[in-house]
Amino acid sequence: MLLVGLPLLGLIVRTPWGRIGEVLTSDTALTALRLSLVVATTAAAISFVLGFPLAWLLVRSPFPGKTFVRALVVLPLVMPPVVAGVGLLAAFGRRGIAGSWLYDWFGFQLTFTTGAAVLAASFVSFPLAVLALEAGLRGLDVRLEDAASTLGASRWYVMRRVTLPLMAPQIAAALVLSWARALGEFGATITFAGNLQGRTQTLPLAVFERLQSDQDAAFAISMLLIAIAFAVIIGLRGRFLR
Amino acid sequence: MKGFLVLVASLSLLFAACSSDDDGGGGSTAATGGTGGDQTDLTVSGAASLTDAFGDIGTAFEGENPGVTVTFNFGPSDGLATQINDGAPVDVFASASPTWMDSVQDDGPGVSDRADFAKNRLTIIVPTDNPAGIEDINDLTEDGIQLVIAAEGVPAGDYAREIFENAGISEAAMANVVSNAEDVRAVVTSVASGEADAGIVYVTDVTAEVADRVTQIEIPDEINAIATYPIAVVNDTQETDLAKHFVDYVLGPGQQTLADYGFLPA
Repeated sequence: MLLVGLPLLGLIVRTPWGRIGEVLTSDTALTALRLSLVVATTAAAISFVLGFPLAWLLVRSPFPGKTFVRALVVLPLVMPPVVAGVGLLAAFGRRGIAGSWLYDWFGFQLTFTTGAAVLAASFVSFPLAVLALEAGLRGLDVRLEDAASTLGASRWYVMRRVTLPLMAPQIAAALVLSWARALGEFGATITFAGNLQGRTQTLPLAVFERLQSDQDAAFAISMLLIAIAFAVIIGLRGRFLR
Repeated sequence: MKGFLVLVASLSLLFAACSSDDDGGGGSTAATGGTGGDQTDLTVSGAASLTDAFGDIGTAFEGENPGVTVTFNFGPSDGLATQINDGAPVDVFASASPTWMDSVQDDGPGVSDRADFAKNRLTIIVPTDNPAGIEDINDLTEDGIQLVIAAEGVPAGDYAREIFENAGISEAAMANVVSNAEDVRAVVTSVASGEADAGIVYVTDVTAEVADRVTQIEIPDEINAIATYPIAVVNDTQETDLAKHFVDYVLGPGQQTLADYGFLPA
């Protein structure tokens, strides 16, 4: 308890409550907040759209190398985020294996763009979406789907009216978990996307930059992130402890 | 139940991954070796641009003072000053601009034996293949140049902004900035890796290590900024004599090392 509680208590004590309104309505904070919301939501959406089919395959389709695929999916979770950033550079940077092709043929560079921030956030939040969706699919009572099919429902109808509604709690958990992880991403973002207000400076990057010279502002923005984290935890409370 | 366990496992991995995001403001720490026996530790916080020169100075200082281990904390001077003002146990502080030494003096524990020990000039660097075809400072105003400079508050970042003002190209140049790096060495990395088209760093940052990956483009003297580096003993040090000894060393034998790396005399 102390391990988790003390840092939180420290933050609450050190936050300049008198200045908090001024800091959180500043250009830096508002821009970072707006950007963070856009990046995290887009990343969560990408993680879901790509993660659902993969979770489906992992649970319902036998194919060789499944263990390997699952290990690969979990990799971004256990990888240090800065390493993830370096990996993204190696793949999508201007001299990267895919990036150099993009640059030479289309003149397009992914680094230093908001897209890069979204990619970094998606990379680290994708495993969470897959794991949560996998858990949801595994927990389904397949007989319900079978019953619907025998009653004449098409596969798409079964998916839409039986599977997804039954999985709704796990889908919500997948979205919220990946969104929260995407929101908090720092190492991969600063390494791969860079740090520019309005384009790539998400809330964690703004905290880091403020920390160098205006600690009060850093604490204030940190409190904002903590508040969002609490909202997530409370929102998920019903889903988890069922 | 199994689903719940998977979710718990993922959550704990999430927090483990998140905790490794922790990057503090201090940059890298390097401990140069010391001899056994009566060990005394000296902690020196230095601007990122001093990494190589101070590394050598530290080794030499340890050689002359057996039993002493010098531990360096390199990073952006603003971050280092903030750490010291927040109570970090640092014995000596070497900043890339007087601003942050003033900060420790006025808002922090205070300093003593303060002296300027070096000066530095800035330069433009581009990757060796020069993808944006930059030939002089005015080329930095061209549309679409991916320019990286240090963040505001970091001395190298402030000097870069000053140089843009001096050249009268602030608006156009700042519009081309694609990233505010946390310290000047991060700017070097961006350019050396080929990701950025250009960066503004100190001339001393073009070390042997990166010399084959970047090309320097000189900034004319009349618009260039001159960085002044002060060094001082931090007042709440536990090793006042040793700290003063180190400061004297930097001002004495260390001057040759600094000159070898391209620093100008104070």
